[in-house]
Amino acid sequence: MSKKIFLDYKRCIGCKACEVACEMTHGEARIRVFEFPDLFTVPFNCRHCEKAPCLNVCPTGALFRDEDGAVAFDPLKCIGCLMCAVACPFGIPKLDEENKIMDKCDLCADRRAEGLLPACVSACPTEALKFGEINEVLWNREGKIVANLKSSAEKGEGEKAYIVL
Amino acid sequence: MAEKLVPVVCPWCSVGCRFYAVSVNGYIRKIEFDYEHPTVNRGKLCPKGVASYQFINSPNRLKKPLKRVGEKGEGKFEEITWEEAYRIIAERIKEIKETYGPEAIAFLASEKITLEENYLVHKLSKAIGTNHLDFPGRYCQYSNSPARTAIFGSAAATNPFEDVAKAELIVIWGHNPAETAPVFFGQYIEKAVLDNGAEMVVIDPRGTRGHKYASLHLKPYPGTDLAIALAMLNVVISEELYDKEFVQERTTGFEELKEAVKDYTPEWAEKISGVPAEDIRKVARLIATKRTALFVNEGMNQHVNGFETALAIADLIAITGNIGKEGVWSGVFPGAQCGFCAAMTGIAPNKLPTGKLVTDEEARAELERLWGFKVPEWVGLDLTGMIREMGNKIRMMYIVGGNIAKSAPNSAWVREQLKKLDFLVVQDIFLTETAKYADIVLPAAAWFEKTGTAISAERRVQRTYMAANPPGEAKPDWLILVELAKELGLGEYFKYEHPDEILREINSVIPVFKGATPEYLAEHPEGCFFPCTEPGEGTKVLFKNGFKTADGKAHLQPVKWREPPEMPDDEYPLWLTNFRFVGQWHTGTMTFESPSLQKRWPEEYVMINPKDAERYGIKSGDLVKVETRRGSVLARAEVTEHVREGVIAMPNHWDINFLTLEVTHEKTKMAELKAVAARVKKVEE
Ligand code: SF4
Ligand code: SF4
Ligand code: SF4
Repeated sequence: MSKKIFLDYKRCIGCKACEVACEMTHGEARIRVFEFPDLFTVPFNCRHCEKAPCLNVCPTGALFRDEDGAVAFDPLKCIGCLMCAVACPFGIPKLDEENKIMDKCDLCADRRAEGLLPACVSACPTEALKFGEINEVLWNREGKIVANLKSSAEKGEGEKAYIVL
Repeated sequence: MAEKLVPVVCPWCSVGCRFYAVSVNGYIRKIEFDYEHPTVNRGKLCPKGVASYQFINSPNRLKKPLKRVGEKGEGKFEEITWEEAYRIIAERIKEIKETYGPEAIAFLASEKITLEENYLVHKLSKAIGTNHLDFPGRYCQYSNSPARTAIFGSAAATNPFEDVAKAELIVIWGHNPAETAPVFFGQYIEKAVLDNGAEMVVIDPRGTRGHKYASLHLKPYPGTDLAIALAMLNVVISEELYDKEFVQERTTGFEELKEAVKDYTPEWAEKISGVPAEDIRKVARLIATKRTALFVNEGMNQHVNGFETALAIADLIAITGNIGKEGVWSGVFPGAQCGFCAAMTGIAPNKLPTGKLVTDEEARAELERLWGFKVPEWVGLDLTGMIREMGNKIRMMYIVGGNIAKSAPNSAWVREQLKKLDFLVVQDIFLTETAKYADIVLPAAAWFEKTGTAISAERRVQRTYMAANPPGEAKPDWLILVELAKELGLGEYFKYEHPDEILREINSVIPVFKGATPEYLAEHPEGCFFPCTEPGEGTKVLFKNGFKTADGKAHLQPVKWREPPEMPDDEYPLWLTNFRFVGQWHTGTMTFESPSLQKRWPEEYVMINPKDAERYGIKSGDLVKVETRRGSVLARAEVTEHVREGVIAMPNHWDINFLTLEVTHEKTKMAELKAVAARVKKVEE
């Protein structure tokens, strides 16, 4: 059982609703939208790695895996040693200079506790951000791609189905 | 400290997204998404929607009535009481009426206030005795709206958004919904294209975020869209691709149209627009053969020749039979959440709230019976006409929530004209550029601080509720109008204590809203589609069995090529156009006060094609002076392939209108806001 946010980035239009929603919820945006010159935009947040290096090196146990599989964070235990930032291959954990501890995406633990979707996912107008059991999300994606391939083969459109990829 | 979830409609664009304002003791603490109701946005919001309570809580909100003490435009005011403000306004109205007659007074309503409030602005202006009434929407849909009314008898969206997902072809023409209506783009356009296999074509001099899904991108010079539309008509008619049965049974005027466009070949259009003839042919054939949802907006509207372009496009929709059925879409797409609230309460110099003309004696008599006072019968001035006549025919203006010093064309001229007024009242939530010219400024409640009705682009009538207390002494616009009416001795016609009472009057005065009662809308947060003649009886698809014209047919209009009023020449060799950011809105009155938006979309820049940049020795990041015959502005250059050669483009939330042109179309009064001749020069720093 592992819940994740899947980045279906080809649907993304770079509107940054995700950034603003995260910022309004946590004070600081923990998701960033990267813009490329060809008009493509890619949202990116903590990957909540299955073998999370940050979690493994955290000396105080401030980082932990919660029941949904998120790499969550206990601010009371954090000492701001930056070990997680050193270990993270993506540079995700950032220093919260005011509180002298780290700050990172916790998949909106508070919202999940209330049965709500993570803020960025709730907002995202294009469904470029999808939240759920990761394999369910992926099976759906595969099913859709296969269905598209089939229907374009029937219509004789060949390659067109790749637009979803 | 109980938290209350108050259902609201989004205060920005016309998609009509719903969500909750989380209110604590009359203060909005955050927003929450509404994933429970069958709303248009299905819970989703764009960054403006998410950040929409930030400006409400801004410390710069107006909190007390103000009286000007400095020069006009200087921004020096002293605080006064409401009693004094009302007294001064009433006295000045009386004086001006006595000296010049009521026809020296003009009113401006707004696409940003509620349906009820627009109705009251209309009623008050007529009670005072003037028909000089308009709203800034004059510069928005007033090409497409009159054009579609001429042909179909009604300009509104033909279908609900859900039908867009069923279209086979999506045409996006001078419109950038990925930035201006992101939830609509994500929930309807993307579903059509990415999930349902629709094809998409785009007509725009710029490349924008949504364009990556398009199979064809036509890049006309700004203001030459008309040539393309005419050539498409030429192709569809000469290749006999039009829907013969539909043309035969449901339209008139086909022969005249055929005759009018016979010489407008794609090759002719290529010379004017710079778009390859073959691409024009391809798109024309697609529109003729596929179930088409066609979206136009300001890139098509905001031109002096926009009316003719809109006529040609509506002709094209009609002869290809892409109207009056499911799975298609066309219509006006207002920029603001309440554009329809102004349009549908007859905010125009020639209309009654019933939609009938002021010159229609019978309609006037009927309204006089309902309202109990005499209604003037003369046709008033449109917004640009009012500005032109300031200090001359127009001595006083009453502006509710509009920022014309920044949004009207040729700002330097507008600001000089504003100084010529004897008396100006501005009712707003911030001290806008326009308010700085006012004699009296009245602090208004913002969107979440009042209850009222909004109408979305797909004709959804929805209620939004009061979630916060206004700051200081600010009051809702409707209440200000009611109290002012009392001071003017017109109290007997304005006996309202709650917006519900105003809506009930609208239910009885404006037939298309008969069923949109406060009770029905309270029970149905997703609203109803107007015409909603009985509670629960919305009309989802228009024109299934006939158009709103006298004979029920679409009246095809012959159209001729018409040049934009200003074209590039040796002195000003480039076309200048403008566009919007997803995280900014209109003149920035509210977005500049929203920190999460302002920090992400902080400033303007000018897009310039690499070939032009080389010609003028400009690099990305250089400070350049952009100049037209009206004025100049400074901005950083962004050298990019995403604007075609010969065209430069700037966002329109800053000072773009110092560059635009106040020439208007003789019939629609649309100004030239999107295509003017310009030059750029690098500025040494
Ligand atoms: S899941 Fe929550 S914390 Fe993580 S990026 Fe999204 S909004 Fe931010
Ligand atoms: S909210 Fe969605 S569409 Fe908008 S930038 Fe984020 S991921 Fe992209
Ligand atoms: S799309 Fe329009 S209505 Fe929806 S959240 Fe954005 S601004 Fe508001």
